[in-house]
Amino acid sequence: MDTLNLAEFEAEPSPKGRASARAGTRDSTKSRLLGRALLVPVLVFFAILNVIPTFWMIGLGFYDYTLGRGDPKFVGLDNFVIIYESAEQWATFTRTLFFMVVAVAFEVGLGVVLGFLFWGSAKMPGRRLALTLLFTPMVVAPVASGLFWKLMYEPTFGVINYVVDLFGGQKIDFLTDVDWVTPAVLAVDIWMWTPFMILMTLAALGSVPTAELEAADVDRLSFYQRVRHVIWPHGKFILMLGILLRTIDAFKTTDLVLTMTGGGPGNKTEFLGVALYRQAFNSFDLGRSSAVALVLLIIAIALTSIYLYVLNLSRSR
Amino acid sequence: MVSTRQTTSGRRIGYYTALWAVALIFFLPVLWIMMAAFKSNDDILSVPPKLAFSPTLDNVSRVLEESSTIPYFINSAWLALGSVVVAILVSLPAAYAFSRWKFPFTNFLMFLLLSTRMVPATAAVVPMFQMFNAFGLRGRFGMFILYTSFSIPFSVWILKGFIDGVSERFDETAIVNGAGRVHVMLKVVLPQVKPGIIAAFIFNLIFAWNEYIFNFVLGDPNTQNIPFGMSVNLLSAGGNVDWGFVAALSSMYLVLPMMMIFFFQRYLLVGMTFGTVRGDV
Repeated sequence: MDTLNLAEFEAEPSPKGRASARAGTRDSTKSRLLGRALLVPVLVFFAILNVIPTFWMIGLGFYDYTLGRGDPKFVGLDNFVIIYESAEQWATFTRTLFFMVVAVAFEVGLGVVLGFLFWGSAKMPGRRLALTLLFTPMVVAPVASGLFWKLMYEPTFGVINYVVDLFGGQKIDFLTDVDWVTPAVLAVDIWMWTPFMILMTLAALGSVPTAELEAADVDRLSFYQRVRHVIWPHGKFILMLGILLRTIDAFKTTDLVLTMTGGGPGNKTEFLGVALYRQAFNSFDLGRSSAVALVLLIIAIALTSIYLYVLNLSRSR
Repeated sequence: MVSTRQTTSGRRIGYYTALWAVALIFFLPVLWIMMAAFKSNDDILSVPPKLAFSPTLDNVSRVLEESSTIPYFINSAWLALGSVVVAILVSLPAAYAFSRWKFPFTNFLMFLLLSTRMVPATAAVVPMFQMFNAFGLRGRFGMFILYTSFSIPFSVWILKGFIDGVSERFDETAIVNGAGRVHVMLKVVLPQVKPGIIAAFIFNLIFAWNEYIFNFVLGDPNTQNIPFGMSVNLLSAGGNVDWGFVAALSSMYLVLPMMMIFFFQRYLLVGMTFGTVRGDV
């Protein structure tokens, strides 16, 4: 499982490896027991609240079970066949993928550019307040920000339509117009999460040792050379982690869309998280929704593994 | 000489102005809602939108008088604060163990922990819903341990990163001098990873403070939090949302997270470096 060694990515392995080897030979059985004992609380939580529900979900995926319609019936792989053959399911999947790719691309692009811009701001007057205002969108509860934007997108009195009107455009009912609803939701997601990528970029830039930057100054490296040879080797882990977290979260966007459009108009913004919600709690089809969830979990784990594998390859190179 | 200095300081001013402009653009939507919190409903709905208005505390007082608001706030507070504190208490020993005893299964377990983030909440909530009903967990205790379990993976990840950054020489020296492992963990390592603990605390607090789906589906009146209250307000209102009320409620709700990022800003930045940076970012 060496490919998954994310957290130690930045640590210098050699001296520590030796130290632990020494400690290892000296450690008694008692000490090894203690090490395992320290893990127990986390493992108990993990087993009760993650492992059991996950197996429950896997199990349910093989049953035909709709709440209020009798006992669950074992149907083998039927649910998965239905999912595979359902055009609607594929459409939801494509829609989610499109949303994820566009949102993450904008957030990473904007976030990195603005992160670089804010990098030299250490002496800026009121920097702390400015960064607080900048980071606020990402701490607004998604439910609340869905509400905010619903108010601002309002066709008759919303401020955005007032601006549209001001520039001579036709008023647009953003959240019920089939052509506008996806860009409108994307804009909100980008507004919320670009600050997170700015934060990750600042953290990544902060992890570059000052001494190396000064050396680059002395050597008069160009901006490109600096990024390529000084910043990237140190900062890539944090930046890529940010991209990974954003990708996973964009893939599961739910709260925001649920409050803003409820998946509509029609199913235009019915992304996977929202579709699962509708399936489970509007039609109470627990068997099917568990099967979908299982497929999603497998996709997400596969993507993450590939991602970590690639990240580790670039390290060992 | 003088003229160059003047142009550089001119450039500085331009640069800082640009940064402030970026920050304000991102903040503008929130500012709009905060203004709405002090407007009368007529002013909120007026066309053209009013920038100058006579501020009123009417919305705020309606929020405070509404009988369900205070319980929502109390539930939000104890659920978020309590669960995050317990999660960190549980995660610290595990992170220390992962960092110091290099178990062969460490990476696999760390990956499993991260994998809990990958399931959409709406997918995980289905089996949770059944499990909670089957074991009668829908209530304070059930929600509390659920929220705790949400905060554990990220805490373990951040803390392990920070503990990895503390040289094992410290542990060895202390042990040679007769200290026990637990003593080393609490008295030698813990003080050096405070930034990591604070970062884990803030990130998880913000998440728990904003959590909606699980609360909505699994909660009962003893655990329902503000995001729940906001959505109920919206759903029950149909077409006639009381925008002044919603704006006031969400503005008040935003005060805590905003204070967190203002006062603990450097820990947010240092936290996301996962212990690779000791100083300021």
